[in-house]
Amino acid sequence: MKTQKSSRLSRYNRWGYAFVAPFSIVFLIFSVYPVLRTLYLSFTDLKVMGTPHFIGFANYARVFTDKFFWRALGNTVRIWGVNIVLQLGLAFLLTIVFSDMKYKMKGLPFFRIVYFLPNLIAATSVAFLFKTLLDWRYGTFNIILHNIAQAFHKNYIPIDWLGTSNHAGYVIAVISSWMWFGNSFIMLMAGVQGISTDYFEAARIDGAGRWTIFGKITLPLIRPILEYVAITSLIGGLQMFDLPFLMSSPSSAAYGSVQTVMMYLYKFAFTSGTVQTGFASAIAYTLFMIILLVSIFELYLFRKDDRKEAKEERRKKK
Amino acid sequence: MKRQGKPVGFVVNKTILYILLILLAALCIMPFLLMMVNATRSGVEISHSFSFVPGKSLGANYRQLSDYFNIYRGMLNSVIVALPATFLTAYFSAMTAYGLAFYKFKTNKLIFVSILIFMMIPGQLSLIGFYQLCTKLHMVNSYLPLILPAIASPGTVYFLRQYAISVVPRSLMEAARLDGASELYIFHRIVLPLMQPGVATMAIMCFIGNWNNYLLPMIILNKKEKFTLPVLITTLNAATDLQSNQGAIYLAVAISVIPILIVFCIFSRQIIGSIASGAVKE
Amino acid sequence: MKFKKFLAVALTAAMALSMAACGSTGDSGSASTSDSTAAGDTATSDSSSGGDDKIVVWTLAKDLEQFADHYKEKTGKEVETVVIEPADYPTKVQTALMGGESEPDVIVGEPQMLQDFYDNGFFEDLDQFGAQDYADQVVDYVWKVGQDADGVQRAISYQITPAGIYYRRDIAKKVFGTDDPEEIGKLFKDYNTILQTAQTLKDAGYRIFASDGEMNYFSGDSAWVVDNKLNVDQSRYDYMDLAVKLYQDDYTAYASQWSTPWYQAMSGPIPILSQDIQSGSDDSVNVWDSENFEEQTKDLPKTEVFAYGLPSWGVLTLRDNVKDTSGSWGVCAGPSYGFGGGTFIGISSQSKKKEAAWDFIKFCTLDEDTADWWIEKSEGDVVSLKSVLEKHKDDENPVYGNEKLYAFWLQQAEGIDYSKVTKYDKVIGDAWGEAISSIKTGASDKDTAINNFYDTVASTYPDIEIQR
Repeated sequence: MKTQKSSRLSRYNRWGYAFVAPFSIVFLIFSVYPVLRTLYLSFTDLKVMGTPHFIGFANYARVFTDKFFWRALGNTVRIWGVNIVLQLGLAFLLTIVFSDMKYKMKGLPFFRIVYFLPNLIAATSVAFLFKTLLDWRYGTFNIILHNIAQAFHKNYIPIDWLGTSNHAGYVIAVISSWMWFGNSFIMLMAGVQGISTDYFEAARIDGAGRWTIFGKITLPLIRPILEYVAITSLIGGLQMFDLPFLMSSPSSAAYGSVQTVMMYLYKFAFTSGTVQTGFASAIAYTLFMIILLVSIFELYLFRKDDRKEAKEERRKKK
Repeated sequence: MKRQGKPVGFVVNKTILYILLILLAALCIMPFLLMMVNATRSGVEISHSFSFVPGKSLGANYRQLSDYFNIYRGMLNSVIVALPATFLTAYFSAMTAYGLAFYKFKTNKLIFVSILIFMMIPGQLSLIGFYQLCTKLHMVNSYLPLILPAIASPGTVYFLRQYAISVVPRSLMEAARLDGASELYIFHRIVLPLMQPGVATMAIMCFIGNWNNYLLPMIILNKKEKFTLPVLITTLNAATDLQSNQGAIYLAVAISVIPILIVFCIFSRQIIGSIASGAVKE
Repeated sequence: MKFKKFLAVALTAAMALSMAACGSTGDSGSASTSDSTAAGDTATSDSSSGGDDKIVVWTLAKDLEQFADHYKEKTGKEVETVVIEPADYPTKVQTALMGGESEPDVIVGEPQMLQDFYDNGFFEDLDQFGAQDYADQVVDYVWKVGQDADGVQRAISYQITPAGIYYRRDIAKKVFGTDDPEEIGKLFKDYNTILQTAQTLKDAGYRIFASDGEMNYFSGDSAWVVDNKLNVDQSRYDYMDLAVKLYQDDYTAYASQWSTPWYQAMSGPIPILSQDIQSGSDDSVNVWDSENFEEQTKDLPKTEVFAYGLPSWGVLTLRDNVKDTSGSWGVCAGPSYGFGGGTFIGISSQSKKKEAAWDFIKFCTLDEDTADWWIEKSEGDVVSLKSVLEKHKDDENPVYGNEKLYAFWLQQAEGIDYSKVTKYDKVIGDAWGEAISSIKTGASDKDTAINNFYDTVASTYPDIEIQR
């Protein structure tokens, strides 16, 4: 506006402010402020109501020395780990099957839809469904196992899937991967379909076997997608809440093995009788820092591979 | 590998693969099937045996369920939350994305970087602060905190910004400007139609996400009349009266699943396409 | 200029949206109209001033819906009841009242929630309405539970909830040769006797309880926290041993409380996958043939459950679920005095219609006619007014073989020690429950589990002193 010259061509640029204004205002109120407010609260002694008093890092000290926080973190990582291995493993296998040049499997659109189905249903409904199906002495699942065992003249001692610490975490991990493997499969498949078929044909003509093709062509080309899936699922996975929260109860023996960080946070942030807002905020931030560190580490690992490869490339060229 | 080319081995392997694929598909469908069947059986039947043959208690289960709560009210509530939220996300994200992609202004970089940062920040970080904000604004037990924040959805903006850059040619806008079109006209009449496939993709994902959202509505809403479907479903957990008839519980879960299945049947191509494109884009 | 206009519109729109959020209490229709009328009145508006005096009750007990209908019949005054699931209730009330919600005029609480609600100032002082005038008319322990630490009356209950053991008279006759409550009570007089009883029943093909948590209401003779110190007395350990024994020696039907099989066991035999099933010898079992399969599963072992341990409101739970076994139940005393639950009614401190709310509370809890009506309506709930209990002490309840239950409950209520209730009960009780289930399922040994329990309490309530 200052000079004649700039005004004609770039005056429209000011419209940029207008276009981002609604977003920015809501973003400041509902995203930035709450995050900063939580940060502030994490340094205070606020419990249920009243005025918060600044107490420095005391809450953080308590989080770091709280064995139940670390237990919850361990549970989260364990459940997430089992889940991600199953989920990605299954998605990988399916991708290999459907991208195989020799078998040329048909029906991808159909299978894709069916495999994605469990992902559509709200976790609350899934939790309910499996909680009733997996009931120890009265659940359909154990009745089926019992009858299969009987058919083979074996004695099946019913397993309390959700009630014992040996099983509950893994059961939840399996259900979670059941919900998500279709999603990962679609993503990976999309990546493979994005690869030009020329690569595969060329490799085949060169006499490369199935696994060589997969290792040398498919894998490197879909790595960015893998990276993306790994990071997003990490952020999502470390916040796991719905399934374990709805499928366990605080007085069950399995509770200690399925209580996730998010459930731990919920206990101190919202559950009547244990609300300690300041402490809960510190838990939130500690978890955030851990997620941040792991994400950075994860990215570093991926990048390190990149560098190594680049180095090898150079060496080969020499 | 030795068998390569041998038709018998090939056919056998392929058949085995198909069988495995179909078994996996069955595994995905089975729980839903059991749920649908059990919804038609009485509590006593369910705990005494299991069967794939529908029972005769659908009516009785339904009556008991409707005595306990109005599941359609929950559905309506979910629509009341999910539709506006989806619309706000789609419209304002497209607008913001467009602004960030094609206009040069001082805070552009800053906003873009904040978006990147907030995409990495897990939701739980803001949960406590967000709840406190709601209590201060007297928005507890209201739908506004579930709908309004949809205007600012960093992930969607990020995706659409990349999308806009790749599908909207800058020259088109310049030409329109020379013809004297206003900026609002350019956005609504030229850019938005071009971005429509990407926006639709994001809108569908956003709708499913909103529809299935549990934690936030559970914290914000207090009255059963206001509960969205997922929260309403979890009250079954505490419904000691209803526990005496599992059939009614299965029925409730079955009814809650039906709308999203219908949406999926209609939009399955777009939904799957959007996940795929999400993967390729990032 | 177009740009400025648009910017202005966009900004105002965004602000308006956010402000709209601030202004409204976020409620639809009826509630907001009642809000605006309330704002017109003063906080001390009295109930006779007319106009829209509809009060809103947030409750976890469905009973209050019936009370509200009855209140309308009698007085013509509208009461809206909002029923929230018991498990969600304390958290919901807390989040709502912290959020400045003024909608509920009347809120309720169960004993274990009350202390926390008092501390947070959710309940209005009832003494200012003259509550103490009624002190002598209500069963003592109920009156005391409704008081905060300073002795101010904050809530009153319309019911008493002493615990008893509900047992099947027909099974008792078969196994023990008698169904007399006095005699059966002796079979439950202490934990060792209970285990013997359990063995006798198991030998006869029955299970003593459906779940291993049935003695919970009788456990613990003292408070969890005394003088800010964690207090785990011997009876807690005894109860732990009992629960573990019941589970490990296969004395129960392994149903969890409030689950489907737990209810079904009230009305007759339930099929159970038990650990000592003989391995099958039938070749024809085919799980994928559903009709055939149904035949097969019919042969699952079945068992019948002898007894339930529940507070007096269990009278109603059983009434609704016993079906064909109606009439063949009895109630006797447990190994100690206990009580559980009970809906205490008070005024929300944020209510704008406190006089009207007090009128409703008085009607529900302190009115003899209402208590009379409720006894008839509920077919057996136990009210808290002494005079009415006295009047009904010879009532016979047909579901329970015409036992005179009111006399029994009144006698049980006299033994109750209300000082056991603390605000920590739910959380510490859950942690103790976790320890018990870890031991019984073999997940950890007793020392580890108990240590873990101490750690949990220490981590949840750093302010409580703990001596191990």
